[in-house]
Amino acid sequence: MCTTKELIELIAKSLVNEPDAVIVREVHGASATIFELSVAPDDKGRVIGKGGRVANSMRTLLRVAAAKERKRVTLEIM
Amino acid sequence: MASQAKGSVEVSAKTVEEAIQRGLSELGLTRDQVEIEVVNPGRGGVLGIGAEDAQVRVSALPVEPSVEMESPRVEAEGEPPVSQPEPLESEGDVAKVAAELLQGLLDRMKVRARVKARMGDDLAEEGEEPVLILDVTGDDLGILIGRRGETLRALQYMTRLMLSKKLERWEMVIVDVESYRVRRRRSLRQLAVRMAERVAFSQQRVVLEAMPAHERRIIHIALRDHSQVATTSIGEGDRRKVTIVPK
Repeated sequence: MCTTKELIELIAKSLVNEPDAVIVREVHGASATIFELSVAPDDKGRVIGKGGRVANSMRTLLRVAAAKERKRVTLEIM
Repeated sequence: MASQAKGSVEVSAKTVEEAIQRGLSELGLTRDQVEIEVVNPGRGGVLGIGAEDAQVRVSALPVEPSVEMESPRVEAEGEPPVSQPEPLESEGDVAKVAAELLQGLLDRMKVRARVKARMGDDLAEEGEEPVLILDVTGDDLGILIGRRGETLRALQYMTRLMLSKKLERWEMVIVDVESYRVRRRRSLRQLAVRMAERVAFSQQRVVLEAMPAHERRIIHIALRDHSQVATTSIGEGDRRKVTIVPK
């Protein structure tokens, strides 16, 4: 599961101004895993995007990674 | 979020091309940075009778402002926007950086695939400049395309965002998987021609299924010089559909 976390980290760190403030937490549930992404307050817009476009693209790519493991994943931006 | 919409303009002119050019100069953007929607392809009319101006909507792509946020905000206050510095990287370097970024994404998505960069014009319209294309090849990559290309669009969007952030300027790049875009483009053009024939024959309008902007654009351009039909789009957002109507 760790590469999925790496995927989120790679994308988030590539888009923000403060890569050091990027934190991804994994919360495992019975059938699904929740990834909680937190970034510097000023960077929040950069990982969400207009109308959530960046966040939704991240979710789409995340699903590809998760599908390989037959797991359900959700991404939340804290 | 600091990025503000550059907005969009609706422009009318004698031809679609002319209207697009006007729209671009009004926004101060290049073709790569906008989404173009043909509102009304217009018509020449007979001896000037029934002539109608072409009308297009030119909208700044959302990714562009987020790249511009990079310019020092304090200095930019109240000053005209500083023009982007000359590219430091050669075309080859940009291609290499872009391919590496995409490869990095694919590796972490646990997709075994190769990325090859090339400059190509087979995904551009006639008369447009060749663009940087990243071809992804491998086994069983349908998962990277997704339903109606949804995953491929996300992959391309993310690659563009990451590349633009890294280069600190907007860079046009197209991501293709197993030539999906090339094939899709070919079938959309064939669909356009076939439906145009039907409309010309029956004199009944045909509404195509909903498509994203760049796919609608392929249809509009394929039929822009058609003598018997015209194209418009109806509906909003994800539900927007090209309509082919008799002239």
